[in-house]
Amino acid sequence: MVLIEGPADATHLIAQLAAPGMRPPIALLAYPKGDPANAAFWPFAEFSPEYQAALWALRHDAAAEFIDLPAAAGRGDDAAEDGDARRGERLRRDPLGELAAAAGYLDAESWWCDLLEQNPSPGPVFGAVAEAMAELRRLEPTEPWEAKREAHMRLKIAQAAKGAAGPVAVVCGAWHVPALTGPTRATEDRRLLVGLPRAKIQATWAPWSLARLASGTGYGAGVDAPGWNQHIWRTWGRADSNSRWLARIGALLRTRGHGVSTADLIEAERLALALAALRGRPRSGFEELRDAAVACLFGGEDLVWRSIEAELLLGRDVGAAPEDGPAAPLIADVQRAQRATRLKPEALERSLTLDLRSDAGRERSLLLHRLCALGVPWGQPQSVGGSRGTFRENWKLRWDPEFSVVLVERVIYGSELVGAADAYLEEAMRGAQDLATLAHLVSRSVTASLPEAWAVGLRLLEGRAALTSDVGQLLGSVAPIAEIARYGQARQADMTPLAALAERLAVQAALGLRHAARGLDDSAAAALVDRLRSAQAGLELLDPAEETWGVWFEALAGVLAGGEAFAAGAAGQLLYTADRLTPEAAVGLLARRLSPGTPAAVAARFVEGFFSTQAARLIYDAPLREAVDRWIRGLEDADFLAYLPLLRRVFADLDAMERKRLRQAALGEVVKSLPGVVTLPDAVWAAHFDVLAPILARGRHV
Amino acid sequence: MTDVLRLSAEQSYAAELAALSAADDGPRPVGWKLTPKAVLTYLMGGAAPGGTAITPKYVGQRRLIETAVATLATDRALLLMGVPGTAKSWVSEHLAAAIAGDSTLLIQCTAGTDETQIRYGWNYAELLAHGPSEAALVATPLMRAMREGALCRLEEFTRLGSDVQDTLITVLSEKVLPIPELATALPARRGFNVIATANSRDKGVNELSSALKRRFNVVVLPLPATLEEEVSIVRRRVRELADDLALPVPRGVDEQIKAVLTVFRELRSGVTADNKVTLKTPSGTLSTAEAIGTLVGGLSQAAWFADGQLGARELAAPMVGAIVKDPVQDKAVLAEYLETVLKRRRGYAQYYAELGEAL
Repeated sequence: MVLIEGPADATHLIAQLAAPGMRPPIALLAYPKGDPANAAFWPFAEFSPEYQAALWALRHDAAAEFIDLPAAAGRGDDAAEDGDARRGERLRRDPLGELAAAAGYLDAESWWCDLLEQNPSPGPVFGAVAEAMAELRRLEPTEPWEAKREAHMRLKIAQAAKGAAGPVAVVCGAWHVPALTGPTRATEDRRLLVGLPRAKIQATWAPWSLARLASGTGYGAGVDAPGWNQHIWRTWGRADSNSRWLARIGALLRTRGHGVSTADLIEAERLALALAALRGRPRSGFEELRDAAVACLFGGEDLVWRSIEAELLLGRDVGAAPEDGPAAPLIADVQRAQRATRLKPEALERSLTLDLRSDAGRERSLLLHRLCALGVPWGQPQSVGGSRGTFRENWKLRWDPEFSVVLVERVIYGSELVGAADAYLEEAMRGAQDLATLAHLVSRSVTASLPEAWAVGLRLLEGRAALTSDVGQLLGSVAPIAEIARYGQARQADMTPLAALAERLAVQAALGLRHAARGLDDSAAAALVDRLRSAQAGLELLDPAEETWGVWFEALAGVLAGGEAFAAGAAGQLLYTADRLTPEAAVGLLARRLSPGTPAAVAARFVEGFFSTQAARLIYDAPLREAVDRWIRGLEDADFLAYLPLLRRVFADLDAMERKRLRQAALGEVVKSLPGVVTLPDAVWAAHFDVLAPILARGRHV
Repeated sequence: MTDVLRLSAEQSYAAELAALSAADDGPRPVGWKLTPKAVLTYLMGGAAPGGTAITPKYVGQRRLIETAVATLATDRALLLMGVPGTAKSWVSEHLAAAIAGDSTLLIQCTAGTDETQIRYGWNYAELLAHGPSEAALVATPLMRAMREGALCRLEEFTRLGSDVQDTLITVLSEKVLPIPELATALPARRGFNVIATANSRDKGVNELSSALKRRFNVVVLPLPATLEEEVSIVRRRVRELADDLALPVPRGVDEQIKAVLTVFRELRSGVTADNKVTLKTPSGTLSTAEAIGTLVGGLSQAAWFADGQLGARELAAPMVGAIVKDPVQDKAVLAEYLETVLKRRRGYAQYYAELGEAL
């Protein structure tokens, strides 16, 4: 019979460890029924003694049982798991370190490794370790929670010893050995356990990742380098264990573009061997292989090591729980969807490009969007804006085992992905504070194709829009709504009400714009300009009725006339690019705005607003260029120096070629405004050209 | 005291080496004077089995030196890299002294070093008189090291032209030096190896060819990680150097070392020690070696001109000398540092005044 340190009320789950779909790392996930937020984890890796012991028992038809306190008892003051760490702090000296030093080691970790974890014939060592632990325990009183755990384990062991036919084996941490082997005091132990909370728990196996096992990532009793432990486990007893590890390093380096030859790997292994001899270790271990790899393969640079460290030591492995186990209903649904779309959950980041024209691409996109809506950001959408409106979506995928917990928690919203996401998003929408946030949530409901949230969102949006008078918020919500209206069709939903809504919001914003653009400081003006530009871009997508444009441009003209200089410049630019300002008018405007009567600071802000992101225009637009040129020449030296940084900022977007052409233009050298046009004899071509020319000319502006 | 200005490592630390060697009976690589473990003790400090205290020669990460020693114990050559003043040459000298008992087989590489200084040259009088012969060969330190099974040190290896660098490939991979003029080749004796040092600031000047790079294990020596570590290095070296130069070391020298190093480290890293103010960095490296030089300069000033008193007044001139390498830019950097940081810092009023004056 095999007894294992683990929650006693999850014993029935042990049998599943041998199930076909079970692949470590996995965690035993237990929570009080209906209260998933209080879930606790017991993670097991392939190399965990607990896991291997359970597996052995299952394969040899031996009974296996968890003997620690039941999960229902809670976790004390959250102390059970990090008890080891706290104990380390409590003992004034580092006892394992002392023992290691006595054995001639510099650090306790490698000593423990050589002595126990990698010792091919440990034999009497275990007895000695138990003795050492007993000595250490004598130095401090046992914590109350730990005493309860050990009492429970003792009782279970005694019970098993009575009932079992064959020998009883107990798998537990070395620290507990002295407490468990001592004489049983059943009555005393029972008294200790009186009054423990009892509740019905739900327990299941959830997938875990090697990365989460690392001590650096929050799990208290973790190991430093789970990837290395796994390697040791898998190559146990093989002579080429180290060569395999170095070969993995080599392969990783090659994927990152470093040239690594087989000869280098051989040299690294030789160096590791020499280092082990120098350090007096029985064989080269993790540190020797790392130092050797740094010296032989990375040119001495620790940085290169760090770049592959995460993948090497933490790995991409995510476990899997058996499909027929009692998975939480929501997780089960997500898993079904993952299988259907053939997207594997992986712990390390990778990118994915989806083609929305294909059914498979759309299905995958929906799954990712719905999970996002549910607060499980498995995929992060990339290059927002750039790829929106195309049939392509770029994602960065990274599955965190924590997502399983989140999914368990989200069960309260529904037992299926669509329903849960709908309800969750709806709640978020109701809680959204401002219009722009709400608009984004609604846009999410469209991309994730969540009809109920979408209907609710639309209603909320209309109601909120009627109540919102803040111009910034109104402007900010135009673009996301317009984008949904314009590109939502790719997702097969009816968008007409949205287009109307976006138009209405734009009009509403336009009415208040004139006042909103006054008396702004620099950062407020910059924020307003960003929103103006995005709103105009949104309107262009919608291509609204002429009246709407009329109101919009009238508002821009108002900003141009009376707004803060930066916003006025930007408004002027928007009007000019939309052909609502003739070139002559623009030149006149610039000349006026940049005339000596205007303070240089204000003029400079205007120029910045007018030309930022559009500096290339000056190459072609001679009258505009002359107006700016005149202004710059007229500046006092001191003013010129003061505004130089600002001017540089305006022209920062230009590439070398554009700069050169601008310079030529400014110095009066010949610049062809359009590539040479040759008139062809055929009249048809001339007609074609007449159609094309305005489009091309306009294209230069936009 | 001898009248030799600077003794080689195996001479100045002869007692320590002897003590280590006396009790060192473990197996050792052929041609080694000490076991690798004893070499490690010699470099990192500790105690010889007989009880003799061994001073640390290198203060820093033990595993770097372990890698270096282990490298030399295999037949791979060792390349020590690092910014100037990170004890590359110092470590190389002591490694050679401990392993081969001879740190003088040294080739200083420069852009003007040619193949004859690496492989062998000819004694032309002999050559003309008797024709090519063993006797007409002029052995370089490398050739002598191969012949004797000793360590050859190549300083500032990357300053060497690439074509000259590559003459080493045969030596490092075949362990043999071909002498085509005599139709023979000189095989290296066991124990022969090469320690090269290279400045990582010179990277790209004469980058090692990959064929050559493959034959070196590289150990990068970092700048000291903490103020305490650096203070202990400087304190030890300043005392040793002062002894050599017969300069008295005044009582309060430790505070001055700390002050100088604080200034150096802050300027070097571009941020104040409390991580609150970012600073401009001067063009020089402000390495530990330069700090040592600065303090020895100050000591000399103190001994001969200031009645042995060492303070900001004596240290200001050498500090400015170390910090200001570019007369315009670095001066501005230092001036800004004085005004924004030192002026308000408690306990640095004297440094503020003296440095400002020296500037």
